[in-house]
Amino acid sequence: MGLLTILKKMKQKEKEVRLLMLGLDNAGKTTILKKFNGEDIDTISPTLGFNIKTLEHRGFKLNVWDVGGQKSLRSYWRNYFESTDGLIWVVDSADRRRLQDTRQELDALLLEERLAGATLLVFANKQDLPGALSATEIREALNLDNIKSHHWLILGCSAVTGENLLQGVDWIIDDIASRIFTQD
Amino acid sequence: MASLYVKDDAPAFSDLDQKKTEMTDKLKLREDERLAQIDQRREEKESTEAKDENTKYFTENFRSLKNEIEAKLVECEKIPKTKLGEYFENVSLNISKLQKFLADSTLYLPKYEIRQAQETISKLQNELSEMKEKMVPKKKFAFKSKKKTAAKAPEKPIEVAPAPTVTKVIELNECNFADKNNEELTKSSDELNNKDVSLARLNHCTVKLFGAPSAIHINKLQDCTILCGPVSGSVFIDNCVDCKFVLACQQLRIHHTTKTHFYIHVTSRAIIEDCNTVEFAPYNLEYPNLDSHYEVSGLNKARNSWDDVDDFNWLASDAKSPNWNILDVNKRVTTWK
Repeated sequence: MGLLTILKKMKQKEKEVRLLMLGLDNAGKTTILKKFNGEDIDTISPTLGFNIKTLEHRGFKLNVWDVGGQKSLRSYWRNYFESTDGLIWVVDSADRRRLQDTRQELDALLLEERLAGATLLVFANKQDLPGALSATEIREALNLDNIKSHHWLILGCSAVTGENLLQGVDWIIDDIASRIFTQD
Repeated sequence: MASLYVKDDAPAFSDLDQKKTEMTDKLKLREDERLAQIDQRREEKESTEAKDENTKYFTENFRSLKNEIEAKLVECEKIPKTKLGEYFENVSLNISKLQKFLADSTLYLPKYEIRQAQETISKLQNELSEMKEKMVPKKKFAFKSKKKTAAKAPEKPIEVAPAPTVTKVIELNECNFADKNNEELTKSSDELNNKDVSLARLNHCTVKLFGAPSAIHINKLQDCTILCGPVSGSVFIDNCVDCKFVLACQQLRIHHTTKTHFYIHVTSRAIIEDCNTVEFAPYNLEYPNLDSHYEVSGLNKARNSWDDVDDFNWLASDAKSPNWNILDVNKRVTTWK
């Protein structure tokens, strides 16, 4: 490896951010990822396993891990916790019946030691549906105001229209950057 | 001799001198060009070498990591049962590390290498899940994580209590049918188009949703027939028994459902989890306005993977899951009333 490549890689490493995207099945994790990356969202199948995307955004290199949310996959989530800088928790805002499930799963994650330093962004997804609960309602249902252990923010968004995706990612990057890349 | 000649013939000298400078200039120019070319070639060569070097570095490391994982997969048969969970987790972690290494290297790798490496990783993952299936059948799935969260829940007993009342109020979406017996329930496209719909706790009902909703959530249906137009987004079905679903959608997830027939048009892939005796056939619903509803939904009529179902409880890729089947042509309902 040439010196230049090494220098280049070090420079990149400096602004590398690892984001872990989790949530119940049917929340829209893969759709958010693909929409954010400008890909086609009409052919997405339920995720059997995981997707990883490396995106360049505002000079940051984002490694985004999108892990399937089916019940049978949730026990594998912990394999992806290591060195996560930001956790993006995605909620299907129209799935009123499973709000308790999503709250329980999130509560369990927040107790995880390996996620202790991670910034939390909650996406109240599917705001394009008329029956979707608002971000405020989701915030109450998930009892987010009780979270003292993590920096967090909840945003209503729509993976179909793209609404608020950029704002959310910008926020989580800014929050992570202010913690990690202080020398800049 | 030359100097003599020059002295004698002055005009010839200046002429020759001019020629000489012209010639040296020309030669110098050519020499410069040649040197520049050499430099250029050298640079080109160096850069390709650097690339080769990077690729070589990657392939070597990648191969050794891969061999390590493969060796671990073979060795797992010697590991005592009690330690298998931890062992597999470790292997899976190694695979993620390999994936990360690949992701980091995509910058300088040729496309072909990336694809090859990606295939190798998927193969390893498949091998791992097959091994898991073989060594620790089934019981590793699902319910463990629930038990864990249940165990953690009592930490906040005060909040758990009032929660159900909240959910009861907001449990159903605005557009819904719930708690009905022996009824025929119908909604028109005006009520359905671009809406999200809930069906819950229905018994012996026929539900006609002739429109193009955005999403449907279905829970606890027994002995029902659901006839539905094209759904632009996802359909989520949970806890159904002895039902017939006729629906078109982009995504279909089916959970805890048994003895049920699905006549579907799905543009991605349907998935089942914790299901058995579910059978699939192609969508065959017809009603006046169906085509215009297809247009509203934006579903691609040409793409239908009704017979390509993923079972999340069956990860072996070389054998089909026994939990689902294709519905026998002779047993299919051809007209819906």
